[in-house]
Amino acid sequence: MIAFLQPLALLGLAVAALPTVLHLFTRRVPPTVTFPAVRYLAETERQQSRRLKLRHLLLLLLRTALLTSVVLAAARPVVRVGLGGAHAPTALVLVVDNSLSSGAVVEGRRVVDLLAARARTILRRVNESDRLWLMQVDGLPRAATPAEALALLGGLEPSPRRLDLGQAVRAAAGVVESEALPSREVVVLSDLQRSAFSGGEPIATRVLAWAPGVMPEDRSLDSAAVEPPVWSPSGHVVAAVGGMRRAPVALRLSMGGREVARAVAYPGDRPSLPARGGRPGWLAARVALDPDELRGDDEWFLAVRVAEPAPAAAEAGAGRYVAEALAVLQEGGRAGRGRTVVLADRLAGVRSIILPPADPAAVGALNRSLAARGVPWRLGDRLDGEWQLRADGLGADGAAVRRRYRLVGSGVVLARADDEPWLVRDRDVVLLGSRLEDPWTDLPFTAGFVPFLDLLINRIAAGETRSLRAHPGDVVVLPADLEAVLTASGPLSLAGDRRITAPREPGVYFLRGVGGDTVGALEVNHDPRESRLAPVDRRLLRAAVGPGAELLSDGALDRELFGGARRADLSGALWLVALLAAALEFAVASIGAGTGRGRL
Amino acid sequence: MNTAKRPDLLDPYEVAQLGGVELVAEGVVEGVLAGLHRSPFRGFSVEFAEHRPYQPGDELRYLDWKMLGRSDRLLVKQYEEETNLRAMIVLDASRSMDWVGAERRLSKLEYAKRLAAALALVLLRQRDATGFVGFDERVRSVVRARSRRRQWWTLAAAVATLGPGGGTAAEPALYRVTDLLRRRGLVLFISDLLLDPKLALLALRYLRHRGHQVIVFHIMDPAELTLEGQPEARFEDPESGAGVVARPRELRAAYTDTVRRSIREWRSACRSGGIAYHHVLTDTPFGYVLRQAASRRVRRG
Repeated sequence: MIAFLQPLALLGLAVAALPTVLHLFTRRVPPTVTFPAVRYLAETERQQSRRLKLRHLLLLLLRTALLTSVVLAAARPVVRVGLGGAHAPTALVLVVDNSLSSGAVVEGRRVVDLLAARARTILRRVNESDRLWLMQVDGLPRAATPAEALALLGGLEPSPRRLDLGQAVRAAAGVVESEALPSREVVVLSDLQRSAFSGGEPIATRVLAWAPGVMPEDRSLDSAAVEPPVWSPSGHVVAAVGGMRRAPVALRLSMGGREVARAVAYPGDRPSLPARGGRPGWLAARVALDPDELRGDDEWFLAVRVAEPAPAAAEAGAGRYVAEALAVLQEGGRAGRGRTVVLADRLAGVRSIILPPADPAAVGALNRSLAARGVPWRLGDRLDGEWQLRADGLGADGAAVRRRYRLVGSGVVLARADDEPWLVRDRDVVLLGSRLEDPWTDLPFTAGFVPFLDLLINRIAAGETRSLRAHPGDVVVLPADLEAVLTASGPLSLAGDRRITAPREPGVYFLRGVGGDTVGALEVNHDPRESRLAPVDRRLLRAAVGPGAELLSDGALDRELFGGARRADLSGALWLVALLAAALEFAVASIGAGTGRGRL
Repeated sequence: MNTAKRPDLLDPYEVAQLGGVELVAEGVVEGVLAGLHRSPFRGFSVEFAEHRPYQPGDELRYLDWKMLGRSDRLLVKQYEEETNLRAMIVLDASRSMDWVGAERRLSKLEYAKRLAAALALVLLRQRDATGFVGFDERVRSVVRARSRRRQWWTLAAAVATLGPGGGTAAEPALYRVTDLLRRRGLVLFISDLLLDPKLALLALRYLRHRGHQVIVFHIMDPAELTLEGQPEARFEDPESGAGVVARPRELRAAYTDTVRRSIREWRSACRSGGIAYHHVLTDTPFGYVLRQAASRRVRRG
C-alpha cells in the first residue's frame, strides 16, 4: 500500500494535465507565410505525418510522465515492503496524553480510558527486541518493559496539568533517534488538541498520532479575578467563561464553603459576581460552572483579601473636591475617620497622599521633606498643556490633565499623563502631579473620581496584595519574605532558591510570611488552553511536528505501527524516472530539429 | 584580374543596383566574354561574311592567318547570318517567381530577367538570332529570333517589362517555341520549375526530338532550400493558395531532403533526355552561371 508523506503536493497532479490541456485548448491559428515551394513542403509533410504524429504522442506522454513523476516525488510516496512476519527492532516512545482534557467523556467513556485501552493493544505488539519508553503528562520519557508500562497504564487518571504535545514529541524523537535500532517511532495517543501543539524545529522521526474520536463541546472557566484587589469589605469577582456561544451557563461563587453569589452568562462573556467579604483577612473563593463533559475546567479558585475601611483625613491644602469626596466615602463606609491616611499638600503622616501645593513657593519645602523621608520622587517644573490620564485599574482612565508638575525620580508609577509619570508611589507615600481641582484636571468632575479616591486610600492603607497565579506543576519563584506555603498536607517550607512546584491539585494555597502572618496566596488553576478541545488536523500536525507525522485512524495505526523499517521511500526512484523522462523528451524533441546535410 | 570590379562575379543584388536589365546584362557579358577562351555559343556556318578584330576568347581556328601575314593585324572571320544559331529564351514569369526569401536579394523573377538579358546579349554579340518567350499560365510575350543590331534592345525591353503573372504552365510556351524555331536551334528555359514536371518534361523532350538543343536553368531562392521561420506557420502557395501548416523545426531536415531529391530528379530526367540542366541559386553571381552554361555547351559541341 502506498502512502504519501506530503499528500498536499498531490494537488500538483493537476499540472500533469497541462501538456494535454495546452495541446487541446491553446491551439491557435498560426500566421500565414507566402512560400512558393509549398509543393515540396506538402510532399514532406505527407511523408512525415505518421512519424510526426508518433513523435507528438511520444512527447505528450513523456512530458506528462515528467510532470507526474515530479509531483509524485514531491509528495514523497512510501510503500510497505516485506509484509508479514515480525517487525524490525524498533525504538518506540508511547506518549499517552493524560492531561486535563483527557478527563472529557466521549460516548460514555473518559478519553483517558480510551487512550489507555489503545495503549494496551500497542504494548501487546512490543517484543523483546524493541526498546520502549512511556511518556505521560509530565513530558518525561520513562524506559519501561511492556509489563511495567501496562502497570503504569492501570492507574492512569486525568491530570489537571497541561501537556505540550509539540515539546513532548520532540523530546520523544530525541530519545528514539539516539537508539541504534533499524526503526524508530513515536506513537502519540491523545485527544490531539490543536492548542496542545507548540511550534518548534520540525523533526524527521516517524510520528504516528491517534485520537479516540470526536471531542465534545466544552464550557470552561478561563479565569477569575477579584476587584478591587482588597475588599473593604465587599467587592466582586469577574470571571471569563470559555466555550461555544450556544447556551447560557450558570456560575456560582463560593467563599469559605458557602455560596455567596450567582450569575448567568454566555460563553465569551465576563460576568461579575458581587459579594461581601465579611471579617478582615484572607478568604478562599471558588467560581464554578454547572458540570459538563469535561469537569476539570469547571472551577476556578482565587483568594480574596478583606480589610477594614482605612481611616483617612483630608487637610485644607488638599482642596475642597478631595474633602467632599472623602466625606462621601466616609458616609458610605468606604473610609473611616482618622489619620491613618492623610491627603494633604505636604508630607503630613506615615501614609500620605500628597497633592502639589497651590502655592508654588511651597514646592521646595515639600521636595526637601520627601528627600528627608527617603522618597525618590520630587516635584519638578510646572507644566501647562493637555494630557490624558492612563491609570490602569484606578478608574481615572481618560481624564484630562491641563496643569501638572513634572514628577522627577524613579519607582512605582501608578498613572501617567500621556507617557510621563503623574501618580507615583514609594512605600506609604503617594505623590500626584496635579491638584485635584480646576483648572489642573477635570478628574474631580468625572464619575470615576470617588472610586479613584477610594482605591487610592484603601490601597495605601492596606498595602499591595500578593496573589500569585500558577498552573498545576508549574515552577513558582516566591518572594524573599515568605516562609512557607500552606498546603492540605501541612506547611511546605521553602528551599534556598525559593522555588516550588505548584501543587498538582487546583486550589488556593496561602503564603505565610516570616512573622507567621498570612501575606499572600498562590492560586493554582487549570491552564485554559486545555479547555480548547478542537483537534489538530493533518496539515497543522505536520506543520507543528514535522513531515514524518501521520494522523491515523484506528485501522491505519495498526497497519503503520512498527512499519518504519518496512517502508521504502519511492521519491528517489521517481526523481530518477523524471530525469529519464526529461532526457528522453530532450532527445525526442531534438530529433528532426537538425538541418539536413548533403550535396545538391 | 581584379574580381571585385567585375560585375559578372559580384553579388547579383549589388549588380542590380548599378542599373536596369540592359546595363546589368552588358556589364555581366563584358566580364564573361573577357574571361572566356573562345566564344561559347558559336554557329556552324561556313559562308564567310566579314572580318572583325580578334578578341580574347575567340577561337584561334577562326583567326585569319593570311590577313595576319599581310597586314600584321589579328582579325577573325565572321560568317553569314542565315547560317547562324537561332536561339529562343523562354522565361517563366509566374507568380511563384516573384518571391524573395531575404532582404538584399533579387526575387527569382528579377534574377531570371537579368540572366535572360545577359544570355541574349551573349548570343547576339556572336550574331546568333535570338528570340524570347515570356509565360506564366499562358504565353505573355513573344519576340521572334533575329540577329539584327536592334534586336538586343527589343529583347531587353520585352524582358524588362515582363511582370509577375498568375499560375505556371510551361507547355504552351514550349510548344510555341517549336513554331518559332523552324530549324534546329537552341532553347534556353529559365524557370523555378514549380510546375507540372511530367508535362514540362514532355514538352522539353519534344523540343529535343525536334533537334533543338535545350538548356534548363532551374532558378531557386536559397531560402527555398531550407525551411526556416516561425515555430509554426501556415505556408501558402502564392499561385494556388494551397496551404500547409507546419513547424519548420520538425520538418527542416526532411524538407531539405525532399528539395534535394527533387533537384536530383530534375537533373536526372534532363540528362536522360539530352537536356542540359543548371541549378541556379539567386545569390549566385551571373558570371558563374553564364560561364557554367557556356562550358557545358562547348563540351556538347
